[in-house]
Amino acid sequence: MEQLTMLLSGFATLFQDPWTLILAVFGVAVGIVIGALPGLTATMGVAIILPFTFGMAAVPGLTMICGVYFGGVYAGAVTAILLRIPGTPAAAATAIDGYELTKKGEGGKALGVATFSSFTGGFISILMLVFLSPILASFALKFSAAETFALAVFGLSIIASISGSNPIKGLMAGFLGLIIATIGLDPMGGFPRFTWGIPDLMQVPFIPVMIGLFAASEAFKTIGESDIAAKTAVALKNIIPTRETFRHIAGTVLRSTFLGAFIGCVPGAGADIAAFVAYNEAKRFSKHPENFGKGEVLAVAACESGANGCTGGAMLPMLTLGVPGDAVTAVMLGALTIQGMQPGPLLFRDHADKVFTLFAGMLFCYVIMLAMGLGSLRFIGKLLQMPKSVLTPLILALSIVGSYAINNNTFDIGIMLVSGVIGYVMQKYDFPPSPVVLALIMGPMAESNFRRALTMTGGSYDFLWTRPITVGFLLLAAASLLLPVVRYLLARRRSRAAAA
Amino acid sequence: MKSVTFSMLGAVCAGVLVLGGSAFAADYPSKQLELVVPYAAGGGTDLLARAYADTAKNYAGQAIGVVNKTGGAGAIGLSDIARGKADGYKIGMGTVEMSMLPHMGQNAAFTIKDFTPIARLNAEPSAISVNKDSPLKTVEEFLEFAKANPGKIRIGNSGPGAIWHIAAAALEDKAGITVTHVPFDGAAPAITALLGGHIEAVTVSVQEVASHVDGGNIRLLAVLDNQRHPKYPDIPTLKEKGVDVAVSTWRGIVGPANLPADVVAKLSDISAKTAADPAFQETLKKMNLTAAYLDAAGFKDAIEKDNAFFEEFMAKLGIGKK
Repeated sequence: MEQLTMLLSGFATLFQDPWTLILAVFGVAVGIVIGALPGLTATMGVAIILPFTFGMAAVPGLTMICGVYFGGVYAGAVTAILLRIPGTPAAAATAIDGYELTKKGEGGKALGVATFSSFTGGFISILMLVFLSPILASFALKFSAAETFALAVFGLSIIASISGSNPIKGLMAGFLGLIIATIGLDPMGGFPRFTWGIPDLMQVPFIPVMIGLFAASEAFKTIGESDIAAKTAVALKNIIPTRETFRHIAGTVLRSTFLGAFIGCVPGAGADIAAFVAYNEAKRFSKHPENFGKGEVLAVAACESGANGCTGGAMLPMLTLGVPGDAVTAVMLGALTIQGMQPGPLLFRDHADKVFTLFAGMLFCYVIMLAMGLGSLRFIGKLLQMPKSVLTPLILALSIVGSYAINNNTFDIGIMLVSGVIGYVMQKYDFPPSPVVLALIMGPMAESNFRRALTMTGGSYDFLWTRPITVGFLLLAAASLLLPVVRYLLARRRSRAAAA
Repeated sequence: MKSVTFSMLGAVCAGVLVLGGSAFAADYPSKQLELVVPYAAGGGTDLLARAYADTAKNYAGQAIGVVNKTGGAGAIGLSDIARGKADGYKIGMGTVEMSMLPHMGQNAAFTIKDFTPIARLNAEPSAISVNKDSPLKTVEEFLEFAKANPGKIRIGNSGPGAIWHIAAAALEDKAGITVTHVPFDGAAPAITALLGGHIEAVTVSVQEVASHVDGGNIRLLAVLDNQRHPKYPDIPTLKEKGVDVAVSTWRGIVGPANLPADVVAKLSDISAKTAADPAFQETLKKMNLTAAYLDAAGFKDAIEKDNAFFEEFMAKLGIGKK
């Protein structure tokens, strides 16, 4: 219980320093704004705020960075739920059921659940970071290319469960994503594939594709509707979830938090993967998996607690081993280095007091995030009362700005618009967009790690069945992929038999 | 009368133009400068650029805005600098990729001739690093083992055709050994794999492994440089061991080709003062970056030398242009 004493003294130090508390509040606010804007991710928010911390002391500066990180991961859900614009890649999973809830007039409930789930997931994952880091850190290093490949295959298999009513169309959308993911530099050979000599295509800019598929396609659809001048929805209500709702989501939130923290530990896997895996597992454990995709509040709870559970998990190998778990923590590693707190095994020995004050600051950031999230929802909900004729151009403008902002490259706006048209056609013919996004995240991860594993074994395929973690993930993948398809085919045969 | 007025007007106009022109050069910089960074915000190149902008604005008398233009392993941002208007208001962070990308099969839209070197700020040499549990204790043992067991040593690098891949390939070539190259998405995942014992060695920079060397988890065997590393004076260079390989990454300020001479002079002056500024040096030290200032002429020579090396070497390795 040495950690508990250290954490309590960390809190004592923290609350003697109002400057740190103010910066934490400021950081969370900046994070929420950045996360809610499409194209601006938590990674970018942290990178933008980083130079401002150079002149600060270590703890206040790093606490502010954590605030931006947490707020950014959370706020991607707000626009995903209200407008079907995922502010961050992780929120693409939240958008599936969150937006359906909004269409049913339950946007307030979805936002409330998302906020509480994000808070719970994040808070618990930080506690895991404080108390379990020695155990989980050694686990992170066990992941080699073979294990990461298997995790990516498992991630791809989730396509079956996020496909909505027709898994065959979902699989087709997933394959479209995989095909798009082959455009760009070959991850192992370095040769350009399908780029037609255009340097902008050497790395598929994935976020513009996502914004196009979700936000722009929705805007295009709205333009074609006849009631465009009408007000869209009533005010948000029931933001604070009822006791029944809390009881309903508790198990899912806890499970997703642990999943998220675990995935966060794995080098190279971040909040986006955590959100999709949490969605899949929530559906697997649910008594009513058929409700998923049609506005299931459990899905929102799972994605958000998974994504925020990832924050503590991703920081764990970064702090204890000095290896970043994802893109955000890679930037944070730089921030710690600049503050003279070199992450790695020596960090806890040389800077224990600062580290535990920082942990206290992280927990404080999550409490602030909860308060700010709930406080701002009513205001944000006003967005929905705007007529579509005003809202739609605004969404398109935001989509353009967001696509440009990632790389400061106008080419990406074109990619966003093309994806928007494709997304519009897909929507018309009932093809779900989220499998495309998932395939874009997981496809390159699976490909490069498969080939890396082959390089490392000298061309032998033995790694597929000799490594326990790899085998476990591959079996899970087979189950995830095949069960929904089998279930769908059986149901169809039964209904045909009934008709005949 | 009319024609006189017109010719006077013309003369005045011409005068204004001439004055305006010279006034421009003397006043330079008279507005904010744009510093293009070809890599993402928060990375090493970006942090260096921001540290530079922060100090250099005091000497330039103008704000310097950092703009990240990422993509194509740096090709997008570097092309953007090369295509910039040669008036000195768009400069950029040139990196070693400037001299590498033109020789790879990627149709880079520039060569080193499209840039005006202004000042090198930083350089980081490659090093051979192994896990602390590795049975290979010295660089001699490493080379001996590699010779006896071709392909057994798996060296992680930061990406196919990236600088640390070239470093490992150059090591192979000059030491007469055969290794297995394992590309990762950047140096950090390669180091993680080394820490986990999934590969035998990495050839990333000393700076990138420094924290793990200090923490006792990674052992440096040799530095691929012409002189020993100031932070680790006990670690030999490969050159001392008879293998003549030196590969470093570098970063510095460049502009588009054909910058006016007085603009280059002014920017060189600003960069020299910035590089010598204690605040800038302190920031570099905090970020574990090694200061390696070179003036415009020295920088130009270094770039040309690297360019010739990569052109020849990549063709030899078969990763060059077809």
